[in-house]
This record gives sequence, structure tokens and C-alpha cells, in this order.
Amino acid sequence: MGQLVVNGLALGSIYALVALGLLLIFNTVQIVNFAQGQLLMLGAFIGISCAVTHELPVAMAWAITMVAMALVGIVFMVLVYFPLRGRPAFLVILTTIAMGIVLENLALIVWGPLPVSLPSPVRGPPVRFAGVVVSMHQIFIFATLAVILLLQFLFLTKTRFGILMQATAQDLHTARLVGIPVNRTIAVAFAFGAVLSGIAGLLVAPIFLAEPTMGGSLGLKGFVVSVIGGFGNLPGAVIGGLFLGLIETFGARYISSNFRDAYAFIVMIAVLVAWPRGLFGEKSSEKV
Amino acid sequence: MNRILEGKPLVILGSMISPHVFAQTEVVTKSETPFLVGATNAKVTMQGSKWLFRTHVHDGQLAELIPEYLVKTLGKTRPGIMAVADDYGLGASKGIQAALAKLKVSPAAVASYAPSDKDMSAQLLEIKDKDADSLILFGRPADVTLVIKQMNDLGIKLTTIGNASIVAQTTLNNLSAAEADGGYAIGGMIPQTSTDAKIMDWSKRVQDKYKVPADNFTVSYYDTVYLLKSIIEKVGCDKPAIRDALAATKDWKGMLISYQADGQGDLAHTLGIYRNKGKTPELTGPIKESGY
Repeated sequence: MGQLVVNGLALGSIYALVALGLLLIFNTVQIVNFAQGQLLMLGAFIGISCAVTHELPVAMAWAITMVAMALVGIVFMVLVYFPLRGRPAFLVILTTIAMGIVLENLALIVWGPLPVSLPSPVRGPPVRFAGVVVSMHQIFIFATLAVILLLQFLFLTKTRFGILMQATAQDLHTARLVGIPVNRTIAVAFAFGAVLSGIAGLLVAPIFLAEPTMGGSLGLKGFVVSVIGGFGNLPGAVIGGLFLGLIETFGARYISSNFRDAYAFIVMIAVLVAWPRGLFGEKSSEKV
Repeated sequence: MNRILEGKPLVILGSMISPHVFAQTEVVTKSETPFLVGATNAKVTMQGSKWLFRTHVHDGQLAELIPEYLVKTLGKTRPGIMAVADDYGLGASKGIQAALAKLKVSPAAVASYAPSDKDMSAQLLEIKDKDADSLILFGRPADVTLVIKQMNDLGIKLTTIGNASIVAQTTLNNLSAAEADGGYAIGGMIPQTSTDAKIMDWSKRVQDKYKVPADNFTVSYYDTVYLLKSIIEKVGCDKPAIRDALAATKDWKGMLISYQADGQGDLAHTLGIYRNKGKTPELTGPIKESGY
């Protein structure tokens, strides 16, 4: 039982990280980026190129990946968001799906179809207590999620730029009218969102291996987690992620492993029926 | 496939993916073109097509031989079964359960995982909790790697036996020596264990040219091309004659095994039993399907 909890929480932490990146972009420009999973895959492969192909220290590989992902985020914004800004939201969403397919195929060309592993930045024997095994990498995943959530909260609430981002999210046009550098704010959101996905990729690759198609399923789970938590709510995404990780793990163990992927969508539908705005969704009103 | 058939090919080298072959067999059979495939679902050659031949060993053979070797040679009587939940894995899992039943052995647990699953710890814990003494593992290299890694992370130590994915180079590249060590595999012959200089050189050239290691499927399709060459040299470019010659294949020596056609169109009946010593697969011995 204890082992299932640990493994479920580790899996849920990955889902939560994907969701945090997704929500950062959504909260700023009200667009769901369905290529978030593919950005995760790209982060994993950039890390592998640095740490495995070029044999750089893992810490340096992480640093390079984060910088590269920030640039990828900005390029993504320039290619996908800016040309379609002001058009119907579904057009931008469709373009993010298309971009995800492009990224997947690019990865296939550059890195090939075979799965590759990335060394974990933390080494050491697993911690054992009461028959439960917790690997150092799992502890690192929990710690990373906690630190990122805290930093994201502090950034959004305590820094000037974070407050500007929130203002942009609430009303983009008014934000521009009052002199907020809207484009720069959006660029930071895309860069930061891509970096979060990259970090999720770096965390996933040592335990789940990296392959070009890895992003599709993880990106979709990130979306499900965001919906369960209440779209736009950061703590909700984390709790939703952990909840989904536990549901999947316990469902696979005690109900059937055949329907593991289905649990995510069953839970999402059940949550939406009971709480249409998700577990922590805020009531919102729209002026008509 | 219709587009390929419009070109009126002499023979068609088909897919190693069973659903592809199931979908194409009817139209290829109607065209009366010899169709050579590597797809491993046992039912591929049970479709009643006289034009379909398979040059790779199939899951039906593995489903018989893996339980037999595990029970009779390794002395394990309470295996857990874990397979990828698709046409490939679930078909094999059913066959393995039937073969175990013939040996009067009940599996401790039967689990599966979706092809996109990355976390198999729940299934492994179920198998461990139900006191399995071994694990029969059937999947593709990427997911077999994850299962073996996660078993090691969870401290689950079970004799593991499965299909050739356990000794595939892709799997071994992503495992440590300690994780890979001791795993058994039964499957199509792989070139990695050969000490023949020609085969070693061929493997190296495949790796250099295609950037992927040669595996059991590479061997099978390579042999298929040379088998066809020898037949065409003998009977010429005549489809029915090629079909008849394929159906009459007997002791044709390929790179690692000899091929012999049975009544259904299966040509491969020799499999390899492998055991990983660290990250190096070693050939424990060839094993033949009963009757060959």
C-alpha cells in the first residue's frame, strides 16, 4: 500500500509539472497549448544530447536544457501564437496540436525512434522504510515540484513582473492601455511554460526513458490534471496531478491494469459532473 | 497496398506488424502475389491464404516454449505474467496461460500494461504480493526495459523470461549490467551472440548504415531476400512457381537458422534461448518447435 502511494505520488508529480507549464501559458493568453507534452519530450532529448551524447555533467545538461527550452518557448510563441493572435481560440489550439506533431517528427529525424535513458542528477541508494522503497530520483521529483510551485507562487504574487503577468491575464487590452509591456510579458509566460515542460522531461527521462512519442500521453494527462484541479488554478493542478497519479496506480493494482489510461478520463468526467469548474475552480462571470 | 499492387510486383515483402498483415492479406491473396511477412501473431498464417508466408518465428511457438522452459528447465511453478495490452502481447498472454494450464501450473497473477504506459509498478507489486516465483514478460524493448528497471527499483527479484525484447540491444543499452543480468529470452535468433566473423561484420555494417542494431527481425528479413533470390534464380519470375517453391522450402540455410515450410506457410521453426550475462546476451541453445 505504502509503495503504491509513493509511486502514485511520483507519477502524479510529473503530471502536475506538465500542468503547471500548461497553466502558466493559459493564465496569460487564455490558450491551451496541446504541444506541452511534446515540449517535455524536447526537453528530455536536449538533456540527453548534452549529458549522454556530449558527456557533459548532468547539472550542466540541466542548465543548458532550461536555457534552450526558454528559447524554444519564445520561438513557439512567435510561430504559433503571434500570427494567430486575435483569431478564434480554436485556430490557435489546432495550431498547437499541429506544432506538437511537427516537434514529434523533428525529434524522430534528429534523435531516431529508439528510447534513450538520461542519468539522474541525484545518485545514491534508495531510502527504505516499513517495506517501502523510495528512490533518490523520486525524492528529487517531489522536491523539484515543491520548489517550482513555491517559486512560481512567489514569482506571480511577489515580483513586479509576476503581477504584470496577472494583469495581462485578466485583460490583455487594458493591460496594454495602461502601459504594461504585453508582448514581453507573454514571451516570459511562453518561455517559463516551456522551461517547466523541459524540467518535467528531464525528470521523466531517467525513469521512463525518452522517445519521440512520449509527449502525447503525458501532455494529455497534464490537460486532464488541469481540468480536474480547476483550469487556471496552480495549487489545484498540483493536487489534481497527485490525485490522478494515485488513482491510476491504485486502479491498476486493485481494479485492472488494462484500463489504466481510462481512469484519468473517467475521473475527469466524474469531477466535471460533480464540480463543473474542477475541484478548485473559481466562479467566474462574464459581462454580456 | 492497393498502390503497391498497381505496380504488379513479383513478390511483396510485408510488415512485421500483425494488424497490418491482417488488413492486407485478402487483397494480396486476390492478386495472387507471394506475400512474405515477419508479423508474429500466430493467427497470421491461419487465414487460409496460399500466398502468405512467414519467415519469423511466431507468438504461438513462444507461448508454448517459454512456459515449458520455465517450468521444466528452470523449475518455476508460480509465474506472474505481464504483457503489453495490444494484439501482440495479449495474444501471447492467452497462449502462455493455455500452455501453463497444459503443464498444470496456475499463474500467480496475470497483468498487462497499455503500450503508452510508463509506470508499471502497480502491476509488479501485484505480482510480488501474490508470491510469484518468476515473471513471464512479453512486450517491446522500450516497455520491457521499463519493467526490468522498475522491478530493480522496487527490489523485486524474480527469474524473468520473455520474448526477444529482453535481449534486444535497445533494451540492454538502457539497463545497467545488474538490471539486465540473468534475464532469459526465447525468440527469433539474434546476431549479437554469434562468434562467426561474417555475421559480426554484417551486424556492424547494419549498425553503421541504419544507426540501429540488427535484431531478430533484421535477420529474418535479410534471410527472406536471399531465400527469394535463390528461388527466383531457380524458377524464374513466375508468381505461382515462386509460391510453390516457397511452400516446398526444406532445410534452406539462412544466416542463423534453416528454414522449412509447413502446411500453413510458416518457414521458421528454430528459436534461440538466451540469457543475459550482465549486458551481454549469451545463447544458451537453440530450441526447435516440436516436430522439427
